[in-house]
Amino acid sequence: MSEREAFITNTKCECGHQNPVGTVLCEACGKPLGKESDWGENLEMRYDGVARRSQRVNPSIIDRVWNFFSSVKIAIYLIVLTLLGSMLGTIFPQESTFLNIDASSYYKQEYGTAGDIYYKLGLSHTYESWWFVTLLVMIGASLVICSLDRVLPLYKALTRQKIRKHRQFLTRQKAVLVTEVQEEPEAWVARVVQPMRKKGYRVKTDGGALLAEKHRFSRWGPYVIHIGLIIFLLAVLARGLPGLNMDQHLAFPQGEITQIPDTTYYLKNEKFTVEFYTDEEMPEEFRGKKILPKLFQTKAVLYKCTADCADPTKEPQLTEATTHNIQVNSPLDYKGLKAYQFDYDLTPVLRSVQPVLKNSTTGESYGKFKLDMKNPQRTITAGPYTMTLKEKYMDFGLNEDGQPISKSPYPNAPAFLFLIQGPNLPAEGQQYFYFPKQVDKSQFQQVAINDKLGGSNRFLELEVDNMSDVDFSESTTYLNIRIDRAMPFVWLGAAIVMLGLILGFYWQHRRIWLTVINGELILGGHTNKNWFGFRREIVFILEKVDMVVDEKSIDNGGGLT
Amino acid sequence: MGKARKPIQIVILFLIVLVGGYAIGSSVFGGSGKPEEGSKAPAIDLLGLDGLGHTLDEYKGKAIVLNFWGSWCTPCVKEMPALQAQWEKWKDKDVVVIGINVGEDQMTVENFVKQVNIDFPILMDTGRDAVRNYGISPLPTTFFINAKGKIDSIHIGQLDLDSLDDQIGKLVD
Repeated sequence: MSEREAFITNTKCECGHQNPVGTVLCEACGKPLGKESDWGENLEMRYDGVARRSQRVNPSIIDRVWNFFSSVKIAIYLIVLTLLGSMLGTIFPQESTFLNIDASSYYKQEYGTAGDIYYKLGLSHTYESWWFVTLLVMIGASLVICSLDRVLPLYKALTRQKIRKHRQFLTRQKAVLVTEVQEEPEAWVARVVQPMRKKGYRVKTDGGALLAEKHRFSRWGPYVIHIGLIIFLLAVLARGLPGLNMDQHLAFPQGEITQIPDTTYYLKNEKFTVEFYTDEEMPEEFRGKKILPKLFQTKAVLYKCTADCADPTKEPQLTEATTHNIQVNSPLDYKGLKAYQFDYDLTPVLRSVQPVLKNSTTGESYGKFKLDMKNPQRTITAGPYTMTLKEKYMDFGLNEDGQPISKSPYPNAPAFLFLIQGPNLPAEGQQYFYFPKQVDKSQFQQVAINDKLGGSNRFLELEVDNMSDVDFSESTTYLNIRIDRAMPFVWLGAAIVMLGLILGFYWQHRRIWLTVINGELILGGHTNKNWFGFRREIVFILEKVDMVVDEKSIDNGGGLT
Repeated sequence: MGKARKPIQIVILFLIVLVGGYAIGSSVFGGSGKPEEGSKAPAIDLLGLDGLGHTLDEYKGKAIVLNFWGSWCTPCVKEMPALQAQWEKWKDKDVVVIGINVGEDQMTVENFVKQVNIDFPILMDTGRDAVRNYGISPLPTTFFINAKGKIDSIHIGQLDLDSLDDQIGKLVD
């Protein structure tokens, strides 16, 4: 800056109006304020030349914070920084997209040193990092403050417009016409009102002066956009609140009612079906090499718990809420809870068998009973015999000491140890090992074990008659369960943004001021865009009052845009 | 002008600080959602082997050794005698040892308890709710929770008698 500015600037206009600091055009008559050398060719019509709220002398600390956020320049820096930050997050996959991957080793393994640095810098969770959230919060603050700082003064300026403006204000607009008029000023002005109204202008007159204005609402477009963005940001922020957002991937074995954690809902996978592409349907390079699913579908029933939901000592009472055949892109949707098809596993899991106790010497059999893999009944009566379930191994194996153990909690190789009591058996009973799966029977030598336990002259056997007595969960479906209660607000925000964009894009705020004085017409016009259309409209209106004007002659630096 | 809008400015800035503070705060302290050393022990409500529902609140004012185990997990089996010994040693000094079985049925748990001869309270997490809330991945995992309900330390893997004794000692002090 070459010259020191005066400590106190005189902001009083020659029309007598006292303007606040920072005013560019007098709030009353529109005369440009400040030094004549700073004026330039055209007027600065932003915010109608009024001072923004933040422009004031001797700002306090609060004012300084306010001013910081009210600056559009700062807002642009913030947006650019956020943009760059977002880009960092797309270099490698984000941790939040992993299901069962240990992030601390994944990045190094997969992407080498670069990946390790990426992980250590915390970029593997860019969008949840403190600095990214801080940037978003600052953009939010900037949106609110920028808008308030401008919209209120602008609103005031536009509602308090004076009809009669300073000559300087008129002649330095970007659309200007100065020409002779023979008629009486009032009569001429009265004549021009009608064609202006026909074009949709709201016209106010004051003797030989006139103000015509239309589509002022389009000026609020940007602020409507900002309101939408703020709602959008707040909605995204609200997803972090408990209960508003859930996203989990769960396994649902066929035929079992499984609880959805942290909710009172239970989901049953009644039947899972998968169809694969035939070789003919696949491109040549895939044939015989790949198996691609064509359709996978879960027939799901959703239950809601109505009583005894939280009490671990009682079984929850469920009522059916809804059913749906879940396919990819066709989720189950119940009151905001959505279940998407995600994956499947076709490994069958044994659930129960119904063996029969048989006397191998007489061929007699003693009734069928159901043996569940989970929570089996522990005392079974079969004919004259009583069987007590002593031990149960889900995944049979032997430990270092040769003791039978279960290697995992999954029924891969289930085994049951019974104590059978009844006629022709020792008084303390006879132990009997039972492997429901045929493959385990031979692998673990059921016969040999039982011969050892009960002697070779034992006569009781457990046998399954046919496959209908074996209950499998044929497959497991994996569903992505989501609740996103903030989503309607995200949509609302987006819709408001759209509305604001339409307001701002498809209408222009057009104003025409004119004064007829001493046989001279001085006309100034302003619009925020489409000057070309605006000039044509002025020419059209003037034609109606028998004044022929060349379109280009109105142009006073408005360009051809 | 001027005077009336200062309170509005302050209110708006205050709201921004409040909402922004919440957002930034939850991103800094929210973490992975897993309980860590120093954080509050998540609540549990599980069925015990005694047939009753149990919560951690029952043991308010006591230090808790919370051991997650499964009958099929060899190190879990191996550390059971140490847990039983420490349970007997400390039970009169306001320390309680609780075993949480992960996802097995009652019969398996009952047989196991009999087989390894333990008598500290056993809860059954059939729905894996506690596993999820405590962010358990490998078994065994043991949480040492002080009398104020805060997690003092987390031990992943097999415990041995001496270090267990030390850790409980630290917990009580």
